[in-house]
Amino acid sequence: MGLLDKLKSKASKKRAVLIGLDGTPYTLARRFIEDGTMPRLAEIASRGALLQMDTSIPDISSVAWTSFMTGANPGRHGVYGFLDLQPNSYKIYFPNSRHIKSETLWDVAGRAGLRSVVINVPSTYPAQALNGILISGFVAVDLNKATYPPELVARLQAMDYRIDVDARKVKESHDALMDDVLETLKRRVAVLLDLFDNQQWDLFVGVITETDRLQHFFMDAIEDTAHKYHSAFREFYTRVDGFLGQIAERLRDETLLIMSDHGFTPIKQQVYLNRWLLDHGYLKLKENARSIEDIADGSQAFALDPGRIYINLKGRYPNGSVEHSDFRQILDEIKQGLSEISADRASIVKRIYERDELFAGPCLDAAPDLCVQSVYGYDLKGAVNKEQLMDREVFTGMHTQDDSTLFISAPAAALRADKPHITDIAPTLLDSMGLAVPQGMDGHSMFKRG
Amino acid sequence: MAQRGFTLWFTGLSGAGKTTLARIIETKLKARGHKVEVLDGDIIRTNLSKGLGFSKDDRDTNIRRIGFVCNLLTRNDVIAIAAAISPYREVREEVRNHIGSFVEVFVSCPIEVLAERDVKGLYKRALAGELKNFTGVDDPYEEPLTAEVVVQTDRETPEESAARILARLEEMRLIVAAEPEGYSEEDEEEVRRRLEGLGYV
Repeated sequence: MGLLDKLKSKASKKRAVLIGLDGTPYTLARRFIEDGTMPRLAEIASRGALLQMDTSIPDISSVAWTSFMTGANPGRHGVYGFLDLQPNSYKIYFPNSRHIKSETLWDVAGRAGLRSVVINVPSTYPAQALNGILISGFVAVDLNKATYPPELVARLQAMDYRIDVDARKVKESHDALMDDVLETLKRRVAVLLDLFDNQQWDLFVGVITETDRLQHFFMDAIEDTAHKYHSAFREFYTRVDGFLGQIAERLRDETLLIMSDHGFTPIKQQVYLNRWLLDHGYLKLKENARSIEDIADGSQAFALDPGRIYINLKGRYPNGSVEHSDFRQILDEIKQGLSEISADRASIVKRIYERDELFAGPCLDAAPDLCVQSVYGYDLKGAVNKEQLMDREVFTGMHTQDDSTLFISAPAAALRADKPHITDIAPTLLDSMGLAVPQGMDGHSMFKRG
Repeated sequence: MAQRGFTLWFTGLSGAGKTTLARIIETKLKARGHKVEVLDGDIIRTNLSKGLGFSKDDRDTNIRRIGFVCNLLTRNDVIAIAAAISPYREVREEVRNHIGSFVEVFVSCPIEVLAERDVKGLYKRALAGELKNFTGVDDPYEEPLTAEVVVQTDRETPEESAARILARLEEMRLIVAAEPEGYSEEDEEEVRRRLEGLGYV
């Protein structure tokens, strides 16, 4: 760090702290404040504004966290899911930090000479150089590649840091998974507090992922007081609350934000959109297909997780079969057909967005043609090997788009009155630190001007 | 990320290693596909600044000229590398403010070491009084207070210094890290398994 950076770092710029709770619904946070499960959050919330927030569409962590860190829509930052297809190909790839086309919040802060500590934000793997330190979150594989600068690895190893919960433990037992969730949380909190206390920073970003993992597998426990894991679920959140309290105790005059990247709700059914496309003749697959890589000739459309629909357009895909002149008609047919999927005598589709309604920017070519948003309870999936349109698996929770959490340590009167969006967070943080919001961000600061 | 222009400005005493480092960095950045131009003080004094001497006024004029060209290059998204003693802080700051995207590298080496090394034989002549206005001997050198990078060429090899400069440029996101490694094949299998564990694949 140059001397100028050091001087700037100590200047009047206000520091900011963002704590992420992956997948914690706003409604659940409110409920836990009211029923006493999260007393520290209650205290924190009384000193600022706790708001319900919209997240990205698709509402999954890779897209949502990338939208958070860049303040941009996927049309700009280029991440539409946990997996995507390579250009002009059906070959799957897993987007990583190198595929993100927009600047991150900490790039902007670093350019202004401000130092960031960024821990466990999903979609930051492999760790890229920054002014500060970064430990990548999901889906980080190798701690060495997940850590910048590399000198930090030894310390993380000495502290038995764990990158993630091993969700496969559920195959062993729910007890084993719950133990893993609690242990991973404990180790994560230890590292978060250690780096909070012992690193110099202007911006601190720390994310808890265990909330999401818990809810994928135990979401049914929260509504059912007789459920075996009901009290364990609440106790877990009381531990998270304790961590929030530990952060709050350490604050001097920093701006504090707490956020989640999406909400959660119990699953009634998983819905396999590729099954629907197959049944209605839009999709053809090779025998024993395992993924969309096994698409067969003559397909007109396919789906990727969670509700992304792509028209198999000539020129865009190697075996594209839809002429440009037929694109609109096929799109309308599929929209109509999907909107009629129903369960319990009601449509499971809340809304179907066309590409241009959601996305804009240089990465628009890779965008899905449609994004299907379901009603609560019906989790849209891209699996290709399902015999039925709907079924249930081991998962009991699914993401929601309109029930994310955002807390800002400022009086509501100082904030905009409209519902925040996840892309507003980066501009809000930069604004709170006295930095200008760069043009490449779609979101806007929540602080009222003047 | 498309290349953004910036100026990498090496300052330091004669013989400290500015040109050596500028050329190493030039080679490495070009190998990464960047457009780079080096403005070397010794060469500039034979053309752009021909006729200028070593008074403070002439030295400042020389630096302003180099800064002027660096600014033209920078605003056209070229990486401009200047290697010049540039002994006066005020004019270096003037150039920094003019260009904006400016990274200062202080090439530090104790004068005793330089006089001992004396690659060009200049220190011997200056100390003998044959060369007047020689920076560090009978002319001042004002060390930077705000350099983005300080390299100590008496303690580091040129390769080590160059690596530190490149790392700092990466850190400032002015250039992208050298090897774009994402997931290896083994990693991909692990990623797939983890995503399966959460129902995403």
